[in-house]
Amino acid sequence: MSDPRVTGAIRYAQDVEFEGMLHARILRSPYPHARVLRVDTSAVSDDVVVLAPEDVRDVGHYGCQIKDQTVLAIDCVRFAGDPVAAVAAPTRREAEEALNLIDVEYEELPAVYDAVEAVSEGAPLVHEHHPISDNDAAYFGMRPQQGTNICHRFRIRHGDVQEGFANADVIVEETFRTAGAQHAHMEPHASVALWKGDRLEIWTGTQTPFNLRMDLAGIFGLLEDRIRIVCPPMGGAFGAKTFVRYEAIVACLARKAGRPVKNVLDRNEEWLTLNRHPAILHIKLGARADGILVAKHVECWVDTGAYADCGPGVAQKMGYAAVGPYRIPHVRVDSNCIYTNLPPNGAFRGYGAMQAVWASERAMDILARRLYIDPLELRLKNVLVDGDRFCTGEVMHDVHFIECLKAAAEKIGWTEHRHGKGLCVLMKGMQTPSRASIAIAANEDGTYDVHCATAEMGQGAWHSIRLLAAELLGVEPECVHFPVPDTDIVPYDTRTTSSRSTYMMGRALVEAVRDLKKRGEIGYGECVNTGGLDPDTGQGIASSHWHQGAGAAEVRVDEETGKFEVVKLYTSIYAGRVVNRPGAELQNEGSMMMGLGTALFEEMAFADGQVMNANLSDYNIPAAADLPDLTYDLVEQERAEIHGLGETALPPVPAAIGNALHSLGIHVTELPMSAERVLHAIDRRNAGAQSLTPETNTDEEVAAQSEQMEKGSD
Amino acid sequence: MARNVPEWLAPTTLEEALDLRARYGDEVTVVAGGTFIGILMSQRIMMPTVFLALRNIRELAFIVGNLFDRTTAGGLPLRIGAMTTHRAVERSAIIRQHWPILAYTFSLVASPRVRNQATVGGVLADADHASDPPALLHALDARAIARSVGGQREIPVEELITGYYETSLRPNELLVEVRIPPGVERAVYRKFRSRSSEDRPCVAVAAVQTNGKLRVVVGAVAERPQYFPDICSLANSQQLSRELAAEIGCRYAESIHPISDARGSAEYRRRVIAVEVRRALEDFLSDRLSEANRESGVGGLYTVEED
Amino acid sequence: MQIHFKVNGVPAEVEASPDEMLLEVLRRDLVLRSVRATCGVGICGACTALVNGEPISTCIFLAPLAEGCEIITAEGLGGDHPVQRAFEEEYAFQCGYCTPGMILTIIALLEENPSPSDEEIKVTLGGNLCRCGCYLKIINAAKRAAAAYSSGTAPTR
Repeated sequence: MSDPRVTGAIRYAQDVEFEGMLHARILRSPYPHARVLRVDTSAVSDDVVVLAPEDVRDVGHYGCQIKDQTVLAIDCVRFAGDPVAAVAAPTRREAEEALNLIDVEYEELPAVYDAVEAVSEGAPLVHEHHPISDNDAAYFGMRPQQGTNICHRFRIRHGDVQEGFANADVIVEETFRTAGAQHAHMEPHASVALWKGDRLEIWTGTQTPFNLRMDLAGIFGLLEDRIRIVCPPMGGAFGAKTFVRYEAIVACLARKAGRPVKNVLDRNEEWLTLNRHPAILHIKLGARADGILVAKHVECWVDTGAYADCGPGVAQKMGYAAVGPYRIPHVRVDSNCIYTNLPPNGAFRGYGAMQAVWASERAMDILARRLYIDPLELRLKNVLVDGDRFCTGEVMHDVHFIECLKAAAEKIGWTEHRHGKGLCVLMKGMQTPSRASIAIAANEDGTYDVHCATAEMGQGAWHSIRLLAAELLGVEPECVHFPVPDTDIVPYDTRTTSSRSTYMMGRALVEAVRDLKKRGEIGYGECVNTGGLDPDTGQGIASSHWHQGAGAAEVRVDEETGKFEVVKLYTSIYAGRVVNRPGAELQNEGSMMMGLGTALFEEMAFADGQVMNANLSDYNIPAAADLPDLTYDLVEQERAEIHGLGETALPPVPAAIGNALHSLGIHVTELPMSAERVLHAIDRRNAGAQSLTPETNTDEEVAAQSEQMEKGSD
Repeated sequence: MARNVPEWLAPTTLEEALDLRARYGDEVTVVAGGTFIGILMSQRIMMPTVFLALRNIRELAFIVGNLFDRTTAGGLPLRIGAMTTHRAVERSAIIRQHWPILAYTFSLVASPRVRNQATVGGVLADADHASDPPALLHALDARAIARSVGGQREIPVEELITGYYETSLRPNELLVEVRIPPGVERAVYRKFRSRSSEDRPCVAVAAVQTNGKLRVVVGAVAERPQYFPDICSLANSQQLSRELAAEIGCRYAESIHPISDARGSAEYRRRVIAVEVRRALEDFLSDRLSEANRESGVGGLYTVEED
Repeated sequence: MQIHFKVNGVPAEVEASPDEMLLEVLRRDLVLRSVRATCGVGICGACTALVNGEPISTCIFLAPLAEGCEIITAEGLGGDHPVQRAFEEEYAFQCGYCTPGMILTIIALLEENPSPSDEEIKVTLGGNLCRCGCYLKIINAAKRAAAAYSSGTAPTR
């Protein structure tokens, strides 16, 4: 029987149809920050359903971590693209034409487009208040700084960095930048809503059915069981299809229309929906002359755009990931999640790890050069081993950094020569705390149904979970079915993010099968991982187990144009135990390709708050001929825990490539490493200059910010 | 809600098409391959009310080439009908053998899907600054044949493209053919992409030597392909050398005011122009010419090849 | 206006506006969902159909241009075409959204050139974007399918 993805028979949310269904389109603000004075929908014809701000003024606010969102912008738009009104019509084209008939009057307000500027004196406030959400996704202590553009401040205080730096023989300091990026999943966002009496049903491509249901319940003032979320497989997501995106708008339209309503985005709207956090990271790293690290100070300015979404969580994870998998007695991290008048940023494969690893691993190579120590040796001397404490105070277990790092070095021929080669080692956390539950129903015909909220976005989770269930049940995988997740049927799961599903559901399955054997018809199992960090000290358990790996890259540079070729790209990723080998390979290859795009050319371009490259021609993603000589190893061990593989191989790619360029004296601190940036770095090398980072804020400005942050947050 | 449904005119002869063109002028949107129109419409940049589709005019799709020694001045030109697709140029036996630079350059455009649809006439009439064929055709001293009910005129490609998506075609004209003069001795096309392998070019360089005369045309950097005969004439009076190649490259870079976009700033483009022009001329000097002309020495009949 | 063409071997007659694209017609009037609206500018290839044997971006192909054409979509391959089989054997897909476009593009390539080089495969596939990043396995699938074409076991159309 042929796979529906290969026959074309697979159906995504955009293919869901209901009788009498209407098609929605959204009217968006052209201004990055403005008061909405008047929305006049009177010219729209009667057979088109219109949703205006007054229709949603009284429904609840929402937001997965900070409750800063309304179904439509009420009174104020905060980014160019912010939804102001919506329509639903019998055809998409009619809906589009109706949008042109809505007249909106705006009064422009001053706007801010940069995270450092947004925390400077006199910066316009994007939000007056930052109420903390009661959604499950606000699982850690939030620290919104009221009266500022900071919606969350995460800190690590471990030891005393003043003392640490005082005792360091060498200190390096550098500012790194990463651009915004678009997930560019091939399937656009799509949602269908319909009401059955007072009960809301949503068919949507989402990774987070329960978080979504919770926020919708708050919006409509319903008990959660009055809302049903059905999750068709997605054509890619990578973090973009999380929490409330357009489901609230379609639900409001459907309620007003008394008919089902579908919304499918045009491609250019994807750049106005959810993107990856641009970040500025300032790293100060101190070591003894023999290479032993003594102190590290990390500061992150995380641009979350106009709405927080899960920016606080990203800022937190970026903060501790930027410390790196190293023994460092004195660590201080200040990571701020900051509002700007740009489209909102949220979960993006890696969840802050890419930005963190870029800064941290590039800083290691800068240090290595200053110390005249081989970058591999420097890492091997300091990298965490079992029993070590991380800067959060947690004791490391099941740690494989040395093994992965050595594999990467060997693959790239590190001992032959290091010219044009770069290494990277990384750690990435897994959502902690979290809860996964699963049920298995035995059917009369000898088959089984798995009831599981894990979403399928191409990562092969449904298949892996079926394989695990089949193994535990002692049957062929064909006997295990995984119906499309439906919150009316499936038990609670935190969400499908953070590469946690195979591991967590695998453990829940053990309990479920045990329970099934006892009860006969249905078995239920749950897995909980506990932990969390104190947001003021960063102490606690960041991750119940760690995603770990290393990367290596070799480059060849055309020094006349700055264009370079990635000759070889390799990652060694700790998998523990691989459940579905082809799936694991695909996820690893895919992560590396996405990392390549981030490294070389993916960049959101803004001008006065407007996205300038909102299409797949002006925004490049990797194509077939961009595939380098790409190899990898998935490291396994007897009786090991399953370790998620959905993201780990992305962050090492930009850092390894950046370090490869660095080995040639080409020092790039900003992502992407465009040919033009590389050419400028070559110019600087040839001129014998010290590292200078060309950017929007000068290093002086960042340093001044740094000082301010230090003074303000002890 | 009633909507004005556009009109679709699909004449089967050129005469019919020219009559319609004369009648409607600029009110009509000419559809050759339709890729460019398709993109503009899909993005709601353009909403035509009347289409004039050329697909049914068989007489507009042809490739006519001379199998005699095409380097002889006074020989016959290569003639390509406006409705010939990029794919047909890429695959044509005549073009691959005797004008390989054309097959090569047309094969670089976008993707196979676009090349299956887009036409030789269309790519010139669109005047997209980042398209590959116009710069090469300019360097080949190609001419566009424009016809109207009033007659026919020959427009050098150099004079055809006047600005971003602007040509000197008149509202009553249709571009029906492209003619490339014989006498090509050496030809090179370099497409420099600064980002992904699928990106539009940052800088493109076409360098052609015809009857001893050098033409270097730089595309993708400004609204029109950039050609400086005075700079090129340096190569007409002296032997081409690496030093001369570098000098021509530098002078081109100094003479052009490039655009800034997602692919590079103006300053970056200027640097790449100097390098890529030099490299194109260095390719001339080396044996390894990118799909450049080999002495074909094939005699033979004058041949017509239908698309 | 009325447009007549053949889809997957079956004659079709649709009523469409001249400013509609073939993609909308295939999805709406013929319920063929393997062609997908994605980038809107003909770059990504997820809307690919074979029109008279050649891959075309249906999202920028005006519907009237399909008059008299023979169109093939993934639904018309039978489910067991050598290229489909090669994709399954090589696990050359993840979310599946770009997969039909990839398959059709490879079919067109192999029918013209049954033994393409790796380079030729990469260049041909350049116009088909896969964000899941399956290129390595897709190229392997193309090579595996090429073996079927070279050995003469592939269906000819």
